[in-house]
Amino acid sequence: MTQREATALPATISRRGFVKTGGALFVSLAIPARFAARAAAAENTSSSIDPTTVASWLEIRSDNTIVARTGRTETGVGITGYYPQTIAEELNVRPETITLIMGDTDRTPDGGYSAGFLFGMNNVRKVAAYTYQTLLGLASTQLGVPVSSLNVADGVISGGGKKMSYGELVQGQHLELKIPVKGALPQPDPNGWVGMSSLDGITVQGDPPMKAIADFKVIGKSFPAGHIPDKITGKTEWSCDVTLPGMLHARMVRPETLGSTLVSAGVIDKKQFPSAQVVQKGNLLAVVSPNEWEAVQAALSVAGSTKWNDWFGLPGSENVTKAIRDYKWEKPSESKGKAAETTAALQSAIRKISTAYEQGYVRHAPIGPFVAVADVKSDGSVTIWTHSAQSQGLRARIAYMLGVPVDKVVVRWMDQSGQYGRTTLGGDGAEADAVILSQLTGKPVRVQWTLQEDLAWSTVSPAWVSDLSAALDEKGHIIALHSAQYSPHMFDPRPLGALLAGMPTATSKPGNFLATEWAYDKIGNRLEDAYGMPNLAADSPNGGLRGNIMRTPGQRQQNFALEGLMNEAAAMAGADPIEYRLAHTTDERMIHLLHATAKAANWETRPSPHRGARHTGSTPVKGRGMCLMIRENAYWVGIAEVSVVPNSGEVKVTRFTIGGEPGKIINPRQLDRCMKSGVVMGLSEALKEEVTFDKSKVTSTNWSRYKILTMEEMPEIQVVQVSRDDKGFGGGSEAANALVPPAVSAAIHDATGVCPRKLPMNPANISALLKTKSPKA
Amino acid sequence: MSDPVTFTVNGRKETVASEPDTPLLFVLRNELKLTGPRMGCGMAQCGACAVLLDGEEIRTCVTPLSYAAGKQVVTIEGLPAVWAAQKGLSASESAAPLHPVQQAWIDEQVPQCGYCQSGMMIAAVQLLAKNPNPTVAQIKDAFTNTPPSPHLCRCGTYSAIIDAVQRAAQAMKGAAR
Repeated sequence: MTQREATALPATISRRGFVKTGGALFVSLAIPARFAARAAAAENTSSSIDPTTVASWLEIRSDNTIVARTGRTETGVGITGYYPQTIAEELNVRPETITLIMGDTDRTPDGGYSAGFLFGMNNVRKVAAYTYQTLLGLASTQLGVPVSSLNVADGVISGGGKKMSYGELVQGQHLELKIPVKGALPQPDPNGWVGMSSLDGITVQGDPPMKAIADFKVIGKSFPAGHIPDKITGKTEWSCDVTLPGMLHARMVRPETLGSTLVSAGVIDKKQFPSAQVVQKGNLLAVVSPNEWEAVQAALSVAGSTKWNDWFGLPGSENVTKAIRDYKWEKPSESKGKAAETTAALQSAIRKISTAYEQGYVRHAPIGPFVAVADVKSDGSVTIWTHSAQSQGLRARIAYMLGVPVDKVVVRWMDQSGQYGRTTLGGDGAEADAVILSQLTGKPVRVQWTLQEDLAWSTVSPAWVSDLSAALDEKGHIIALHSAQYSPHMFDPRPLGALLAGMPTATSKPGNFLATEWAYDKIGNRLEDAYGMPNLAADSPNGGLRGNIMRTPGQRQQNFALEGLMNEAAAMAGADPIEYRLAHTTDERMIHLLHATAKAANWETRPSPHRGARHTGSTPVKGRGMCLMIRENAYWVGIAEVSVVPNSGEVKVTRFTIGGEPGKIINPRQLDRCMKSGVVMGLSEALKEEVTFDKSKVTSTNWSRYKILTMEEMPEIQVVQVSRDDKGFGGGSEAANALVPPAVSAAIHDATGVCPRKLPMNPANISALLKTKSPKA
Repeated sequence: MSDPVTFTVNGRKETVASEPDTPLLFVLRNELKLTGPRMGCGMAQCGACAVLLDGEEIRTCVTPLSYAAGKQVVTIEGLPAVWAAQKGLSASESAAPLHPVQQAWIDEQVPQCGYCQSGMMIAAVQLLAKNPNPTVAQIKDAFTNTPPSPHLCRCGTYSAIIDAVQRAAQAMKGAAR
């Protein structure tokens, strides 16, 4: 191992005392004085973590085990593998000696999003690096050997012919290391983004010496994810498994329509359901019982006799594009690029291409509907057991709803069905329902949403429309490009329970954002505009269709439009789609990945559409298409191969090749799994998914109406990974899903000569599109 | 109150207090504390709640307790014992090894969130009992077209599941020799 230079660190170690048995080194938070002063000045800022005591980032224990704590959680992308690897790498220990404690607001120090691992990983890496330097210093004193002469392997420090394990170093002592941090845990702030002061959590500061990527021994290997074995044997305790003494099971009785208000609540037949009881606050209606089956049946019975008023405030999903087009748009909420130059270039263009892309509403649609348990005690303390990907944000949001200080609320995180972004902003979910019901009944309450409820009432990824135009030079290359995206906003994670009960909620003002990272540096003039509007039916009593972020947010939508334009422009120029992209970039990382992925896919260099392309007939026609993307320091290429039956509009994706280069790959197998499964989710969105609604309610409320990809529909998926030591780390857990729609659209164009510009590319949409191009019979 | 229902769960005879029309899922989870099967769609559309009933996969969210009376239920918690019995291991030997399907799910790192995987493993055990050497097409067919519905995974782990089923098939063949 290369010995890292020990430098003066802004970290301090103190010996709090000696202990008879055991011993440990605790790494805790040292908030700089100026932050501490500000925190103390603000109201209600006390955290349940005392930065000077036990709750800490890391504990090196005398038995040579290590406990690491983070507010970020396993969302199914492998953090329980990546984090121990990262810590183990800096500490020179084996990853399996590390136990992770995740997500509990009273047991973890940092907060922050569980969206990918990048941001949180920098925290844990620095914490480990600070700790490593401290351990070296301790060993140097104990062994009487200078730090520069020490070596560490497997948690054993050696030098001068002597050696000591980390456990022996801390044996009998209570040592405390303080490290510099910045930031604060979220507080409610009605004027802040999504109603919070900040959801970023606490960030470790300073630059402790860290191992060079080229020296990594643990990172880069496929270490298993720690959460898996207990999930396989049934030992994991999931959010849905929580039971408390005296706990009531609840089933919610939701309004008849998205905007209905309660006229009269149904009553319980006590003969039939002796232990069940109706609980109501505003439009929040539920049935509770100590017996779950009784709660289910009684809720159905109560729903049958409950009266809601009528409401018709939605445009119907078939009219959603028109509703967005008809909105009185004013200024973009975000605009980026060279406005004057781009406009001028478009006006004077010798050739121009103008196009538009669109998609209806889609949703996260986990297999397990929302579930939460809450226990509101008579002293006002609240404990919630749940699965939010933003425990600290959720804690602040629930405190705001109840009008209590944040430190009255504890959120305990447990595994649950994947959420794909819907809980990342610390809202949406069953927690508010459970808290309100527990407060009203004085008992712990478990709220289990049904699938129908989840598919009708949880937040959605909003519909959008995108207009693009590009100016082309005489070779057909793009010299200027303008894109404008229009959409209801995606930052409304307000919990349904609070909205229905009429309790305080807060979120952002409507707005949209630009997410695309620009791969085409040879296109000199570019202007991007993003326009945001309120939720559809925003002024209805229950908030309307609440928009929320979903996996690869913003970029998923904007890249579909942009890469669609690139494919259309390549076809107009008579160029091969990959050659065309190569002509628009000098980015060597992208160039390398394009070549590597094309090679793996046996890409045939030629323009689209294919010579044999046809948009009529009842026999299949084949095509291939591609797209690219840059996201969070990671490079991506997707290549789809399809078979289309023009008359029926049936699209079968026969093979998908995905190339990824996220800098240094931490765990090749977990990344392979994320890339393949991301392609599956992307195919599902490309080919099948759409939230349907009539004038008053969502109608796609079961799996035969909200269709997702089945195993049989999955094509062969080929993965190309490129790892490099000179570009740091990139994000690997998103992106893959976003590569699929543009590549499949391009492949359908290649096969049929017609560009699909609307998702999903299901038989109804594709056959309708191809028929419009057919000569009249 | 109706008469208590008696059935066998993971090799143990159980007499339960739940009403006979209670979905088996609630009985397993709330009364017997077997949390392997999980609540998904509640209408036999996803497979998260699947268990084996006399060796056949059923969806416990729509199966009344009365239907299980006198029958044998196996959840993922009971798969190691099923494998031990298949191999003719004694009770003491049977404590340790996982069912090859479970071991393959770990070795192939199948779960992402893992919520649906209990049902997926049940489907795999049933498939391998009927077809010890399935092709990729046969695995896709079994997980998609076996009534009452496809086994759905929203994380998209289908490819890893196929790898794991084939790994388990190899392991079971090796063990049979």
